[in-house]
Amino acid sequence: MAKEMIAMLLAGGQGSRLYALTQRLAKPAVPFGGKYRIIDFPLSNCVNSGIDTVGILTQYQPLVLNEYIGNGQPWDLDRLYGGVHVLPPYQRATGSDWYKGTANAIYQNLDFIERYDPKYVIILSGDQICKQDYSDFLKFHKEKNAEFSVAVMEVPWEEAPRFGLMVADEDDRITEFQEKPKNPKSNLASMGIYIFNWDILKKYLTEDELDPQSENDFGNNIIPNLLRDNRKMYAYHFSGYWKDVGTISSLWEANMEVLDPEHSGINLFDENWKIYSRNSGMTGHKINAGAVVEDSMITDGCRVAGTVKHSVLFAGVKVEAGAVIEDAVIMGGSEIKAGAIVKHCILAENVVIGENAVVGAMPEGEECGVATVGPGVVIGENAKIGPNAMVDKNVKGGGEQW
Amino acid sequence: MVKSKSSALGIIFPNHYDPLVPELVNVRMMASIPFASRYRMIDFILSSMSNCGIDNISVMVNNNYHSLMDHLGSGREWDLVRKNGGLNIFPPYSERASKRYNGRISALASLLGFLREQKEPYVVMADSSIAVNFDFNDMIRHHIETGADVSIAYKEEEIPESLRRTLDHSKGFYYTFNIQDGRITKIYVNPTEKGVQNFSMNIYVIDRELLIDMVNTAFVRGQEHFNRDVLLTQLSKLNVQAYKYEGYMARISGIKSYFDENMKLLDDYNLDALFSGAPIYTKIRDDNPTRYIDGAKVSNVMVADGCVIEGEVENSILFRGVQIAKGAKVKNCILMQDTVVESGASIEYLIADKNVKVSAGKEMKGADTFPLFIAKNHTV
Repeated sequence: MAKEMIAMLLAGGQGSRLYALTQRLAKPAVPFGGKYRIIDFPLSNCVNSGIDTVGILTQYQPLVLNEYIGNGQPWDLDRLYGGVHVLPPYQRATGSDWYKGTANAIYQNLDFIERYDPKYVIILSGDQICKQDYSDFLKFHKEKNAEFSVAVMEVPWEEAPRFGLMVADEDDRITEFQEKPKNPKSNLASMGIYIFNWDILKKYLTEDELDPQSENDFGNNIIPNLLRDNRKMYAYHFSGYWKDVGTISSLWEANMEVLDPEHSGINLFDENWKIYSRNSGMTGHKINAGAVVEDSMITDGCRVAGTVKHSVLFAGVKVEAGAVIEDAVIMGGSEIKAGAIVKHCILAENVVIGENAVVGAMPEGEECGVATVGPGVVIGENAKIGPNAMVDKNVKGGGEQW
Repeated sequence: MVKSKSSALGIIFPNHYDPLVPELVNVRMMASIPFASRYRMIDFILSSMSNCGIDNISVMVNNNYHSLMDHLGSGREWDLVRKNGGLNIFPPYSERASKRYNGRISALASLLGFLREQKEPYVVMADSSIAVNFDFNDMIRHHIETGADVSIAYKEEEIPESLRRTLDHSKGFYYTFNIQDGRITKIYVNPTEKGVQNFSMNIYVIDRELLIDMVNTAFVRGQEHFNRDVLLTQLSKLNVQAYKYEGYMARISGIKSYFDENMKLLDDYNLDALFSGAPIYTKIRDDNPTRYIDGAKVSNVMVADGCVIEGEVENSILFRGVQIAKGAKVKNCILMQDTVVESGASIEYLIADKNVKVSAGKEMKGADTFPLFIAKNHTV
């Protein structure tokens, strides 16, 4: 039985701008929002939109991601026919190759898509925080009788040069594509989410593969080729919350925005559009007498005896009495010992901050860095970590890193 | 033959001791009573069995079991979706005249056909009125080493007053033992003595073939209670061994003890004692993390996911999805799933069942010795 639409989720990105956070895990597996990982958003969007078949293209450091996805059960994607499939590069009779680019990753898995013989394929990116109804996008695609559609966001004109931009006519038909132009003709930024008619996708990926000059990239090669051939290409306007969390500061910012859903627009308390995740299985969290908790999100397994202000604590975080945490993102299993001060920073999973250590600082004037401590790092007693530090090795008691 | 991971199969009696907590089982059963902010009572025994590799588990539901069916589903959260064994729920089999199970014997009698077909040499049986992180393997080992026919777990503790005060036998039976060199020599039914005793946990290990024989005979004789009617009379004939449990246990014997056992978990020492062993699994609700909004003041609380807290909360247990509005005051309370406390309301020593709403400005106070209870779905 053919599927109407299946999803291909690009999750191979290294996320090199997240440095210490992505040394051992792919960007889509980076924890987010207290109990999620980034990939929970596109996966939950899929299942909430009625898509039950998802191929996840992995390449860089896939172990954590593979284990996290498992059989797809937390997202209701353990299905008899379809469901979630992790698709790493593999060896064939003619040889083997890493995924050379986003288009090549899909190209190498054309056989996977063929098995479901879909009418449409949606290409998703595994590094965005966004709640989006893909069925609405598909409705648009069908109404326009399009061969290719791309989801776009209006961005402020002054920021437009940072994006890939779609120039479209009043009927939303795309007439031109500009990749990070100096003089933008449009402020419609591509979100990197595409719907293709399956026959068109297959034709252009196959063609692209034969071109030795191609970078095998959707933005740089496939979209220009579609334009060249005057294909029916449309821009679908999306106006909800959307954030590419590719940098430390944008990841930190997006987490802080979760604390203020009334203004930021990223509401995780949405019964009608739940974001699913693999559960930690820990007990309810505990706030001790004497603790102070203000304007924060706290989840299962946390034990708070100190002060937590405007922060996001992931599962199993321990904050000892006398520790102070402010404007911080503290990932699962980390421990903040007595008297430590942790501000305006991201601590990865299983970090230990020793007694009276100081990590990060509130912004002062020009100085607004987000200190980052990599997974498993131990910061010794009385150590000092500056606001711009990127720590991926243990710091001894009394040590400093700036 | 496919080898089972475990040498025992499990049987759970989820309705046992329902009459002790009439308020809480009005719309459910002992096994599905919410406990410790995100669990149901059955999660503890079920997870303990699952963690010990016991993956063939029968739950002998008797009445009010919709909530439990909903909670257990296919058993996936406890890793009990298995081709061989897994989770089986056995409601009373409707015969010409539909009958509920009376004691363990009639429940087990309906299971005889199933028991005969199984491969595991031992059976472990338990109720769900206790929350424990129990090592069944250690008890089975003890059972084998002592050459026991039957083993019963006990804890040295006082009989709760709520049980001792129950003068009639309408609320079920509880047992204490005399033990000599590890062997149970005498069983007391509903004793009323004060002081520390060998108090049965109603966790049994028994040889499967022996259990089948015993149940068969007892059923034919019209006997109802496994302990009172079967074991008690055969102590000289059978090697009934006592297995001493020294870990943490919460035993629900009344609404007051329900309140106290929840509150005890606000002490980190107790919380760690109950949960630091193997993990306890429960049904996943996919709530978001709990959000503390500016103005929230919390002290000594255990809180599950999905709550939104803007008011003041002290010495309380909040289950999933509870909302405390600005200006509301909550002290010494247990608020079950999706309770809403509106602004300006003030509550103390109160147990709110699921979906209760305390309207704006309302004040309600129970007492330390007598917590107020508000039934499911009620608005105050």
